[in-house]
Amino acid sequence: MNILTLLIFTPILFGLLILLLPSSMRASFKYITLFATLLQLCFSIYIYLHFQTGASFAGISNEGQYQFVQKLPWISLDLGTVGKMQIEYFVGIDGISVTLLVMTSLVMVIAAIASWEITSNLKGFFALFLLLDMAVVGVFCALDFFLFYTFYELMLLPLYFLIGMWGGARREYAAIKFFLYTLFGSVFMLLVMVGLYLSVKDPVTGNHTFNIIHMMNPANYIEGSVFSVLSHATILGMPARTVGFVVLFIAFAIKVPVVPLHTWLPDAHVEAPTPVSIILAGVLLKIGGYGIIRICMGIFPEVALSGAFWLGLLGVISILYGAFNALAQRDLKRMIAYSSVSHMGFVLLGLASNTAEGISGAVLQMVSHGFLSTMLFFLVGVVYNRVHDRDIYNFRGLGTLMPRYTVYVMVAFFASLGLPGFSAFVAEAFTLAGAFKSHSVNGLLPYWMAVCGSVGILLSAAYFLWTLQRMFFGTVSLKGGDIWKVALKDLNMRETVTLLPLALIALALGIMPSLVLGKVNDSVLALVAFTQNVLR
Amino acid sequence: MNDLVPHIHAQLNEVLGSLPYFMPEVYLTVLFIVVLVTDLLFGKNSAKLCRAVAIAGMFLVVFKDLQQVALVGTYAAPIFSNMLMLHRAAINFKFVIDVLAIILLLYFAWDKKLQSHKKGLSDLYSIVIGSVLGLHLMTMAINLLSIYLAIEMVSIASYLLASYRTENAKSTEAGLKYVLFGAAASAVMLYGISLMYAYTGSLELFSKEMADALLHTNSLSASFALALVLIGIGFKLSFVPVHFYVPDVYEGAATPVTAYLSTLPKIAAFALLVNFVSKNGFFLQWKAFDFRLVLSVIGVITLIGGNFAAVWQNNVKRMLAYSGIGHTGFALMALVTFTSQGLSALTYYLFMYGLANIAALMLANYFENNENITDISDYKGLGFKYPLASVCFVIVLISLTGIPISAGFTGKVFVFSAVYGVYQQTHDVWLMALLITGAVTTVVGLFYYIKIPLNLFLKRAEFLPNEISYSTNLVVFSSVIALLLIIFGVFPDLLIKFL
Repeated sequence: MNILTLLIFTPILFGLLILLLPSSMRASFKYITLFATLLQLCFSIYIYLHFQTGASFAGISNEGQYQFVQKLPWISLDLGTVGKMQIEYFVGIDGISVTLLVMTSLVMVIAAIASWEITSNLKGFFALFLLLDMAVVGVFCALDFFLFYTFYELMLLPLYFLIGMWGGARREYAAIKFFLYTLFGSVFMLLVMVGLYLSVKDPVTGNHTFNIIHMMNPANYIEGSVFSVLSHATILGMPARTVGFVVLFIAFAIKVPVVPLHTWLPDAHVEAPTPVSIILAGVLLKIGGYGIIRICMGIFPEVALSGAFWLGLLGVISILYGAFNALAQRDLKRMIAYSSVSHMGFVLLGLASNTAEGISGAVLQMVSHGFLSTMLFFLVGVVYNRVHDRDIYNFRGLGTLMPRYTVYVMVAFFASLGLPGFSAFVAEAFTLAGAFKSHSVNGLLPYWMAVCGSVGILLSAAYFLWTLQRMFFGTVSLKGGDIWKVALKDLNMRETVTLLPLALIALALGIMPSLVLGKVNDSVLALVAFTQNVLR
Repeated sequence: MNDLVPHIHAQLNEVLGSLPYFMPEVYLTVLFIVVLVTDLLFGKNSAKLCRAVAIAGMFLVVFKDLQQVALVGTYAAPIFSNMLMLHRAAINFKFVIDVLAIILLLYFAWDKKLQSHKKGLSDLYSIVIGSVLGLHLMTMAINLLSIYLAIEMVSIASYLLASYRTENAKSTEAGLKYVLFGAAASAVMLYGISLMYAYTGSLELFSKEMADALLHTNSLSASFALALVLIGIGFKLSFVPVHFYVPDVYEGAATPVTAYLSTLPKIAAFALLVNFVSKNGFFLQWKAFDFRLVLSVIGVITLIGGNFAAVWQNNVKRMLAYSGIGHTGFALMALVTFTSQGLSALTYYLFMYGLANIAALMLANYFENNENITDISDYKGLGFKYPLASVCFVIVLISLTGIPISAGFTGKVFVFSAVYGVYQQTHDVWLMALLITGAVTTVVGLFYYIKIPLNLFLKRAEFLPNEISYSTNLVVFSSVIALLLIIFGVFPDLLIKFL
C-alpha cells in the first residue's frame, strides 16, 4: 500500500464510518475525527522523515525524481482516430509538496480539536470535515491534472456546507460567494486543462495525457497544437499560452487570494466556524500558492517569467492593501483575514522574483503562515466561544483577566509581524532578499517592489501591536460587564495543548528554518534552473 | 399487373430481410398490444399487471437492443427500402432510451396524484410503450417520411401523457398548449419536408439525388427548407427560440410525465438530428447552409437563454425545465463536432443528464407527495427532516451542475475534449464561443441549482412532524441513481467505452 494513498484516503474511510454509525453515538464522532487526523499526521511525519533530499530527488520536471510515487491507470478510452485518452491515478511528492503536506496534516489535527465547539448536526459536520481533509491532501499529492482538478473541485462542496450550515449570521451569503468565486475560476481552468491534455502526448505510449510532468516538457507537445510552445497559436487573437497561464493564474489567485479577487475571503472567514476558518486560512490559501508553483510556473514557465513584473506587482498590492485594510478593521477575525491577504502577498512576490531565495521564502512563508494563521484563528475562537463577540473595541485589559491567553496571543502576534526568531521573519526576509536580488540577477522585479514589501512588514507590526494595545493592555473594561468577566475564563487544558505545539513550531521554524528549507531547497533550485532553461 | 410481380417478390424479400434488423421494434409492437389487451381483459385493477408486463417486456427489448450490437458491428444497415438505417449510434441511443423508459415505467405509479387518478394508470403504460416504439423509429429514420411519422408518433403519445390528468386545470392547459404548439411545429416541419421534396424529388436523406439536387437549388430556398425542418426537430429538442412551451408544459404535467417529456423525446430528437446532419453536415461540401455555424449559434443562445432564465424560477419543475433547455444547448455543443468522439460524448452526456434529471424530478415529487410543496422557497429546513432524500438531491444536482465527483462532470469533460479536439484543427471561433459559454453557464447553473441545497440545509425552519410512509420507493430509487451517478463519475469508462 502506497503511503501517499493511505494519507489521502484515510480520512474518507473514517468519514464513511461516521456516516454508518447511528446518531446515538454522536459523542464519539469528534474522537473518531481526531483519531483519523492524528493517524494522518503520523503518516505525514513518516513521509517527512523518509523523504530523501539531494539533487537527484529534486522533482519538478523530472518524473523519476518524485518520491512515494504511485501510478495506476484510471480512465483509459480508445477514441479512434484521435488516439487514446489516458487519465491516471498518479500521486507523488517533491520538496515543494512535502512540507505543505506535513503542515496540512497538523493543521487538520488542530482543526479537529477546534471542532469541539460544534454542537449541532455532528454527523454531517464531521463527515464533511473528513471529506474536505481528503480533498485537500489529494490536491497536494496529485500529479495528474485530472486527478488534481477532481480533488480541487471536491473541496468546494464540503466547504460550502461547512460555512453555510455552521457559520455565523450572514453564512448563506458568505458560502455562496465563496462557491461562485472559486467555481468561476475553476471552470475556466477545466477548459485550459482539456486544451493542455489535447496538446500533450505521453512520449512513451503516444496517448494524450493529463500527466502534469509531461506537460512541463515542451518536447511532448504535439506540433501545431493549441498550447505548443512552437506553434504560437492564438485564442481569440491572444497568444494561446499567455491565455492559458492567465486563466490558470486567475483560478489560483482567487484561492490565494490576490487582491482584486480577494473579496470572498473576509466574508468566508468571518462567517465560518473556527475549525473551518482554520482550514481556510491554514490550508486552502496554500493550495492557491501551490497551484501557482506546480501548475502555472511549471507548465507555462516562459509566460510566468515574462509576466513576473505583473505577478510581483499584484503581490505588492496584496501586501499593502491587505495591511491597510487590516489596520482599519474593528472585527478581530476580519483583521486577521486581511492580514492573511497581506501575508500571502509575500508568497506571490517571492515567486515572481524567480530566485532561489524568493521561492524558498515563498514556500516557507506558506508553511509558516499555515501554522500562524491556524493559531490566530484558534485564538479568536477562544474569545468568541466565551462571549460571542469579537469587536476589538468591546474588550480592554484582557491581559490581566486572561494572562495565559495573552501570552499565546503575544506569541502569535509577534511571530506574525515578523519578529526575528519566529518563522515568519525568516520567510519574509527570504522573499524580500529574493525580490531585492531579482533586479541584479534576472532583472524581473524593480527595487521599489522589495521596498514596498518591507513597508508591508512595518504595517503588519502596526496593526498587530495596535490591536494588542487596544484589547489586552490597560484596565479591564468589557462591553458585557461582569457577565463577560465571569465568562472570560483563561485557557483550559484542551486549548493549551492545541496552542503550545503551534507556538513551539513557530519558534522552531524561526530558529531552524532548515527543517523546511532543507527539504525544499533541491526542488527550488531545480525549479529556478528549469525556468531559466526555458528562457534560453 | 403482371409486370409488378417480380417487384413484389423483391419488395417482400427486402422486408423479410430487414426484419432481423428490426427485432426490438417488433418486440415493442407486440408488447404494446399485450399491454393494451391486458388492460382490456383485467379492467380497472389491471394497472399493476400492466406495469409488470410493460417492465418485463422492456427488459426483453433492452436485451434485443444489445443483440443488435453484434449484428451490425461498425456497419450501417439501411432497412425497409432506405426508410430506416440501423447503425451503432442508433443502437446506443435506443439502449439509453429503453433503460430510461424502464426507470420511468417504475416511477409513474409512485406519484400520489397520478396514482389517485380515477382512470387508472393502465392506459398510461400502453401509451408509453407506444411512444418508445416511436422513439426507436426516430433514432433510425433516414427518410423524410419516416422522420415525420416517427416524430408524430412520439408527439401524439406526448400530448396524451401531458394531459393525462384532465381534471386538473393546469394539466389541461399544459396539454392544450403542447398540442397547439406541437401541431404548429409539425406543420412547419411538414412544409419544410415538402419543399425539400419539391426541390429534389427525393425523400431519402442519404440518396445521391437529394445531395445533388440540393446543390443545384437556389441556396436561399434550400436553406429555408432546411431551417423549417430544423425547427420541427428543435421543437422536440426544446432549443431556443422554440422552447417557449417547455416551462408551462413541464410545470402543468404530472411530475413523472415531466420526467418523461424532459428526457426521452429530447434524446431521440438528438439521435434524429445526428442522422439528419451527418449527411448534410460534413459529407456535403455545400456552403450555403453551414450546419455547424447554425447549430453553434443556436447552442450558444440556448445555453445562455435556458440557464439565465432558470435563475429567476421559484418552482422546482419550472427551474428544471429551464435548466433542461440549458442542457440541450450543452449537448448541441457535442453534436456540432460531427465526429465519432463527439457522438459518444453526446450519448454519454444525454444518458447522464437523463438519469440525473429523472432523479431530480423523483425527489421533487417526493417532497410534493410528503409536504405538498412545489416551490423552492418552501424547502426550507427540510434537509433535517428528510436527510437521505436531501443528500441524494444534492448529489443529483451536483451531477446536473457538472462538478466532480459526478457523472455530469465526466460527461462535461468528454464534451469539452471532443469540441476542443475539433477546435484544434479548425480554429473555428464559434467552437471557442461554445466552450466559453459552456463554462460560464456552469457557474450560472450552480447559482440556481444550489438554491435547493441552500433551502434544504442552510435555512432553518420549524416544521410539524407528520408521518413519512408514502414514498419510500421514490427515495430508495433515487438514492440508487445518485449512487450510480457517483460511480460513473469515478469510473466513466465502465460505460463510455461501449458508446
